[in-house]
Amino acid sequence: MRPLPDRYLAPKTRRVWKITAGFESIFLFLIPAGYWGAAQVWELPMWIFYTLTGFFLLTAVLSIFILQPLKWKRWRYKVYENEVELMRGVFIVERVIIPMIRVQHVDTRQGPILRHYKLASVTISTAATVHEIPGLEMEAAGELRDQIAQLAREADPDE
Amino acid sequence: MNNWQRQHPAAIFISFLGSLKQMIITVIVVFIFGQQADGISSLFFIAFFALILIGSLVNGFISWWRFKYYLKSDELEVKQGLIFRQNRFIRRDRVQSIDINAKIVQRIFGLVELKIETAGGGSEPEFRLVALKRHKAEQIKAELLNRGNDKEINFSEAYLGEISEGMAHTLTPLPEKKREEPVYKWELGIKRLVIAAVTSSGVGIAATFMAAVVSQLPQFLPDWLINIAVGWVIQSSIVYIGMFIVTVLVSAWLFTIVSTVLKYGMFTINKKGEEIHISRGVLEQRQLTLNENRINAVRVVQNILRQPLGYCAVYVESAGGGTKDEDLSTILLPLCRRSEVEELLGEIVPEYAFEPQYDGLPKESMRRYMIKLIVPALIGAGAAAYFVPYGSLAFLLPAAGGLLGYVQYKTAGICSERDYLCIRSRQFSKSEVMLPKRRIQDMEMSQNPLQRLDDLYTITVSVLTTVIGKAFSLKHISAEQKETFMQWYSYEIEESVNPHDMEDEIENEERSRL
Repeated sequence: MRPLPDRYLAPKTRRVWKITAGFESIFLFLIPAGYWGAAQVWELPMWIFYTLTGFFLLTAVLSIFILQPLKWKRWRYKVYENEVELMRGVFIVERVIIPMIRVQHVDTRQGPILRHYKLASVTISTAATVHEIPGLEMEAAGELRDQIAQLAREADPDE
Repeated sequence: MNNWQRQHPAAIFISFLGSLKQMIITVIVVFIFGQQADGISSLFFIAFFALILIGSLVNGFISWWRFKYYLKSDELEVKQGLIFRQNRFIRRDRVQSIDINAKIVQRIFGLVELKIETAGGGSEPEFRLVALKRHKAEQIKAELLNRGNDKEINFSEAYLGEISEGMAHTLTPLPEKKREEPVYKWELGIKRLVIAAVTSSGVGIAATFMAAVVSQLPQFLPDWLINIAVGWVIQSSIVYIGMFIVTVLVSAWLFTIVSTVLKYGMFTINKKGEEIHISRGVLEQRQLTLNENRINAVRVVQNILRQPLGYCAVYVESAGGGTKDEDLSTILLPLCRRSEVEELLGEIVPEYAFEPQYDGLPKESMRRYMIKLIVPALIGAGAAAYFVPYGSLAFLLPAAGGLLGYVQYKTAGICSERDYLCIRSRQFSKSEVMLPKRRIQDMEMSQNPLQRLDDLYTITVSVLTTVIGKAFSLKHISAEQKETFMQWYSYEIEESVNPHDMEDEIENEERSRL
């Protein structure tokens, strides 16, 4: 049995995800808001509005306070000498192996929210796919990027 | 021809035709709706379209006039554009494949189209010269593909500009071979072409198309005819409807036969050293050159008509050279006997010449394959039985679905043969794919909540094809198989840990963290 990866994302990532999920929920609330607006003009049953609001409120709470922390808890990675392994997913659990010799390039990226929390994400590109480690302390992200780049450069291309 | 050259002037006409083709649908739509809209005279439309036509003609002329190419010793330089000028260098060592096609337009002028595909995910991986004399096209091809040169091509240097971290080894450098190996030649032949056409799986698609056309027909027919037709359908029994379906299927079948013959007629493979030259087509002639070392996977496909006859088609996934109508793969052998595949691959791409011994899936996955097809069919059949006369016949569907699911389960298999991963699966057609470990970009194992009940997994591997990556996956493999293939793919040396559930382990660790 292959051991599970044992590194976790930066704990602050949870907060970033909660904020992102919050923004997403706000967008969803445009649906009941639109319905409310329509109800002002035409005669429409109000119970639909309450149901919609209730439903989106529930999903927002579930997503922000349960799903995101769970997602963080499940997200882990490990950098071996010859490969990177990622594991993620709340419902569908995925494990990915990316051999170092297949790595084309490694980047660090930062959106505005990540920057505010001094975090960065690391993306690993192969010729066919791109994978992301979505939240690490800025310094750690930089180190990880350099480490993977170094290992990828050293990996034996004859294998 | 060591100077700047323009394309053949027919390029103006070809690009004009191209824009005409794009416009024709717009013209039809505008024409139909324009008839109904009052107030805008038809004169206006004529003037409008005349303007567009002249505009595209002028545009065609300018782009021909400004487009110049210069063939140097190992690169092609191209200048184009009137206002926004563009200079492009196509280096020999970046060329993935070169296509010489003669479509109908080009054949009128006795010209060819040259298509060059370059490596990597740049914005324009593909480059076209639409009107060239054949000998000029051959000259460019010879210059850009000629790798027998004495110059050492340093691949890592060539790719440095493109890859930020400078890890160039992913695209395997081509070992330079100087000796000319004997040419191997394979031809499809008339008999096989006919069999390929008759058993082509495009029938389903064509039938759908025909049915769509037929169902749209009433809009264009006069009312009295529709009245008669409706009366006829209502009176007619299921036999007549059956006859209608048969007619649609037969005409679709004939259509596919003709199109397959036109597409794969005169199919020839020539193998010279590492290069595989494929030429095919009756009306539109296509020529494609692939490099053996750039083939990332080989696929053997047997559709339901070909499987009982023992025939199959072989596709290759190559970085460069795929076309949209073949699902971004390149057809290598349009039709051959399944038993010949190993021998033929031995001649054309020897590294893929072996017969994999597939390992089936655990019995727990059988019901998953079946249920997945039975449930939607059952819902559909329920609805049909309720709303449609004779609808209860639709309950044959879930049975058929269950049978197909069972056959899919029986077909599904996976194995690793030396350094190759082989996956066999089926939607309708049976498909086998052979993937070398060094071409697999990553491997993923996933598990959904339903699979968790029986500890089953889905395996997905990605390889590079023309522009994008392509993933091959197999559902519901056992935990044991999951471990085997992870270990097979892993480049680490295993430490042995006691076997236990992935899920249990997560739970345990979570508990210990809390």
